[in-house]
Amino acid sequence: MVEIIDNSGNVTVHGVFNWILLLTIFSIITVIGNYIGYKHPMTDSLIGIGILSLITLAGVWMERYLPLNISSILYISVIGIALAFPGMPTSEFVSYYVSKIELLSIVTVFLAYVGIGMGKSWNEFKALGPRAVIITMLVIASTYFGAAIVAHIVLVMTGVPV
Amino acid sequence: MVDGEGIITNDDNLTTDINHPYREKTDKRILKKNPWKDYGLHLTVLVLSIIAMSIGPIEIVLVKGVEVSIMPLLYTMVLGLIFYLAKPIKWIQRKQARIAEGAMMLFIGVLIAKLAVSSGQSIHLLLEMGPALMLQELGHLATILIALPTALLLGFKREAIGMTNSIGREPEVAVVVDRYGFNSPESRGIFALFIVGTIIGTVFISFLTSISVSVLPLHPFAFAMASGVGSASMNAASLGPTLAAFPHLETQIEAFAGFSNLLSFSIGIYIVIFIALPLTEKLYYWLEPKIGRDAIIDEGDE
Repeated sequence: MVEIIDNSGNVTVHGVFNWILLLTIFSIITVIGNYIGYKHPMTDSLIGIGILSLITLAGVWMERYLPLNISSILYISVIGIALAFPGMPTSEFVSYYVSKIELLSIVTVFLAYVGIGMGKSWNEFKALGPRAVIITMLVIASTYFGAAIVAHIVLVMTGVPV
Repeated sequence: MVDGEGIITNDDNLTTDINHPYREKTDKRILKKNPWKDYGLHLTVLVLSIIAMSIGPIEIVLVKGVEVSIMPLLYTMVLGLIFYLAKPIKWIQRKQARIAEGAMMLFIGVLIAKLAVSSGQSIHLLLEMGPALMLQELGHLATILIALPTALLLGFKREAIGMTNSIGREPEVAVVVDRYGFNSPESRGIFALFIVGTIIGTVFISFLTSISVSVLPLHPFAFAMASGVGSASMNAASLGPTLAAFPHLETQIEAFAGFSNLLSFSIGIYIVIFIALPLTEKLYYWLEPKIGRDAIIDEGDE
């Protein structure tokens, strides 16, 4: 069936179909990892990642089919914040089930794909070498100190006691 | 190495009004190649994930009070890379790497959705925490002023734009890839920052924090907020020494660190999109002719 659609040039149906299957595979792997790492009940975390997958699907769909030139990241963020916003009828349901899926479980599976995808660029990374290590340490240090110093100044100015 | 798409993308980046070149490329991969059919790839990820989660985080005490924790997310990433590079593993090749690349662009949505739900839930607390939490996000821009000139002096070209605009965790990577395309120098830069940061970042920020809390006379909450600048594992690594230095403020420090990390991931990406990246580009084109060195990477080399 998929082959027929593939040759028909009807990428719309085909695309959504592929997105759903990929997100399903990702969800199953994440839920298994989530269970092993954090012992959250599988049914609850399946509902949780199901909600996240639907938000993602809505976001990538809107990015491609709405006339606005907005990244899917923005759509996904807005939908996610709106669904969990206190007072929204969806808030309690979404917050409860999504809390059953740990951020680190998602990141762990995500980074496995990133690791494999990056293999392609390994030689370039090697070429970047020690200079990249120097810049990385500098970026982390200056971001850390930048945040700490600005936070300190604002905290002192707004009179937050130590 | 035949890679027609890469060449096309490089050309696209030269024009000013690029229309999300990564999106078309990702679509090409996801929509036409039935990526879910590659059972070898997904089963490998499943096995890596099971191994990583079963081992769990490993904590190593370097010196008294300085703990280095290695998180499962590091295992899967490094193992994934090793699986690609290892010659005997025939089912993870360049084709799978390209599928993984395309799939990753979809999966980052799940990550962003998770963070968005957390932000929505706790939005009232964010407001109560006052202006310090919001304004410290602007402190992150310090990296542009310090790291960008250094990167130029070290001989980086447009890679420097990707490398020095932010701390370069997952959301920032997504923003940069979205803006410049997967094979652009800017994306190479942030990928380098990302991979180096993932490997050394956790260890490095843990050291940095333990030294800072003993040397710098800053507000304890300021250290707590700064601990959230990077990834979740970096946050945890930085939180350890901070809590040890101010044991009577444990709950507040944990709360501030959590929100700061949430902010870095949620509002932080909008600061990157609307302030950090434009500022980095401006500074780059102003400084590059003045202090730029010979390129260390041939830009035409794909």
